[in-house]
Amino acid sequence: MSTIARSGFVSRVRTDRSWWLAGGLIALALIYPIIVETLQALPFIGDFVPRTSSMVVMLVFTMMAIGLNVVVGYAGLLDLGYVAFYAAGAYMAGWLASLQFADVTFHFGSTVSNDKPGIHVSMWLILALAGVFTMIVGILIGLPTLRLRGDYLAIVTLGFGEIVPQFVRNADQEGIGFDLTHGTFGIAPIDSLGVGAFIFREQRNKDDLYYWTAIALLLFTVFCCIRLRDSRLGRAWIAIREDETAAAAMGVPLMRTKTWSYAIGAFFGGVAGAFYSSFKAGAFPADFYFNISIFLLCMVILGGMGSIWGVLAGGMILGYLNIEGLATIGSKVQDAGLHFDPTKYQFGIYGFIIVVMMLFRPTGLIPERRHKIELVEGVHDTPFYDVQTEGTLTDRDMSDD
Amino acid sequence: MSEQPSTGPVLEIDDLHVYYGAIHALKGVSLKVNQGEIVTLIGANGAGKSTTLRAINGINRTRQGTIRFQGQDITGSPPHSIVKSGIAQSPEGRRLFPLMSVTENLEMGAFQRTDRENFSEDMDRVFELFPRLQERRMQKAGTLSGGEQQMCSIGRALMARPKLLLLDEPSMGLAPIFVERIFETVVEVNKQGTPVLLVEQNALMALEVAKRGYVMETGTIALEGPAGDLKTNEQVRKTYLGEG
Repeated sequence: MSTIARSGFVSRVRTDRSWWLAGGLIALALIYPIIVETLQALPFIGDFVPRTSSMVVMLVFTMMAIGLNVVVGYAGLLDLGYVAFYAAGAYMAGWLASLQFADVTFHFGSTVSNDKPGIHVSMWLILALAGVFTMIVGILIGLPTLRLRGDYLAIVTLGFGEIVPQFVRNADQEGIGFDLTHGTFGIAPIDSLGVGAFIFREQRNKDDLYYWTAIALLLFTVFCCIRLRDSRLGRAWIAIREDETAAAAMGVPLMRTKTWSYAIGAFFGGVAGAFYSSFKAGAFPADFYFNISIFLLCMVILGGMGSIWGVLAGGMILGYLNIEGLATIGSKVQDAGLHFDPTKYQFGIYGFIIVVMMLFRPTGLIPERRHKIELVEGVHDTPFYDVQTEGTLTDRDMSDD
Repeated sequence: MSEQPSTGPVLEIDDLHVYYGAIHALKGVSLKVNQGEIVTLIGANGAGKSTTLRAINGINRTRQGTIRFQGQDITGSPPHSIVKSGIAQSPEGRRLFPLMSVTENLEMGAFQRTDRENFSEDMDRVFELFPRLQERRMQKAGTLSGGEQQMCSIGRALMARPKLLLLDEPSMGLAPIFVERIFETVVEVNKQGTPVLLVEQNALMALEVAKRGYVMETGTIALEGPAGDLKTNEQVRKTYLGEG
């Protein structure tokens, strides 16, 4: 017993099997660009294998979903404006690695040649800076909003999710008297990732290079989120999610703990946004619509709120359907002679998936451990004590838990 | 923090006023808990007993009056610093974290403590008081029976190593066998040196274990005195003990 007690806030049961599975998946993910052509040549399923460039987008969105999961899944704060963090990260990259501020010429560790105008900071550094900048944005948005609970919080975050894209669309010479975001045109081109003279975008296998970087970022995100979940802070988030008043009574500082969840969730959104803008070579306001927030939330719900492996699966599945899957299915359907284009109904299809999930598997594809035990093992409905006859036990087996 | 003489009051509330919006819920409550005492706060539904407890641990905002704990003014402090200073609570309706295991719930009780190395010792102590919790330690708190949940809630509060324990209706909704068991434990905990402020509707049981008592009525203290006196007080007998 004392071993359990001694393990403190990190008491957790792990199975070797799941780690073998994780290792296998990581290995498979790493060799994906090498085997993708072989896979695509396979009969029947070959057409459904996503291109490496599509995989990059899927990974970016999955990373954001895992960041959102910190807010929604761990701390239980419904955030409908996560796209704001994605935009903040992308524009941070736009400001620090493009021709946007052509009056200034500032180079720091960039792969761009030194005579080019504009600010050009090393893209690797920008990934970190974008994370920190977005974290600050998260705290600024969080401070006034996190005093609200439940639906009220959701509505205010929805507002911020609308304000940010409206702002970037209008923050140009005409709008605010200073060209901050280049309005509806967006900022382009944004510098490529690279090491020294080895610039990813100029390589023949640039998608593969971005892909491996995305895998590294995703692994970093997953690692951080697992460590956070098992930390004292993570336990405080879950306490707030389960019963805010009880958490306060146990001495959890509510505002500070919630703000941390916002800041950390925002951090990963910012890093993902900066990375994606470098991959696409631009940050465009049309990318930051409200539907992205909902799309990310769908990934979290589909996968299982609070469950990292679930959100990983949910993110990859919905990401795949969005970028390639539905179009592939559509062309197959049309080849069969039916006039139906699923890409036209994509949000209807995602909505349908969510409704079906809520009916048949409300805790998600891979439920969080806590929910899983509840559903699989069931809640005992036989009491231990016979309430009719004082002092006697029922026949419920005490060793079955 | 200066050490108080062992006889001085641990908790001293003076003229406390709490509002819920426009509703004046506490109208000048004053009470005291001395070192080593069990003090009970009894009264009907809606008299303001739970409101008083929630004001002590900072969840309800105090409009007027002072709360002093070990000589220090804690009025208006946020709940987490009040917990840190040594006041732990088993809230009304138990309020466990239903998806956390018993062990995890107990760990949450020690959230504000920094001496992580003493956790297992304290958990052993809780398990000694409530052997049933040890049997259920890996079980989700939401799947426990009502009595077990109450044990877990009290155990969770004890994990904070409180210098004052607040118990809100620990007997609510429990089978008689559990009620007795819970009260025995309260006495046991108190014997080990923790003063207890006990809010109860089960006035008979509460006055049985307490040294002193306060009777609340619509936001004020209507009566106070040694528990023995209150038990024989005619008004108390009529209203709360179901006699006459």
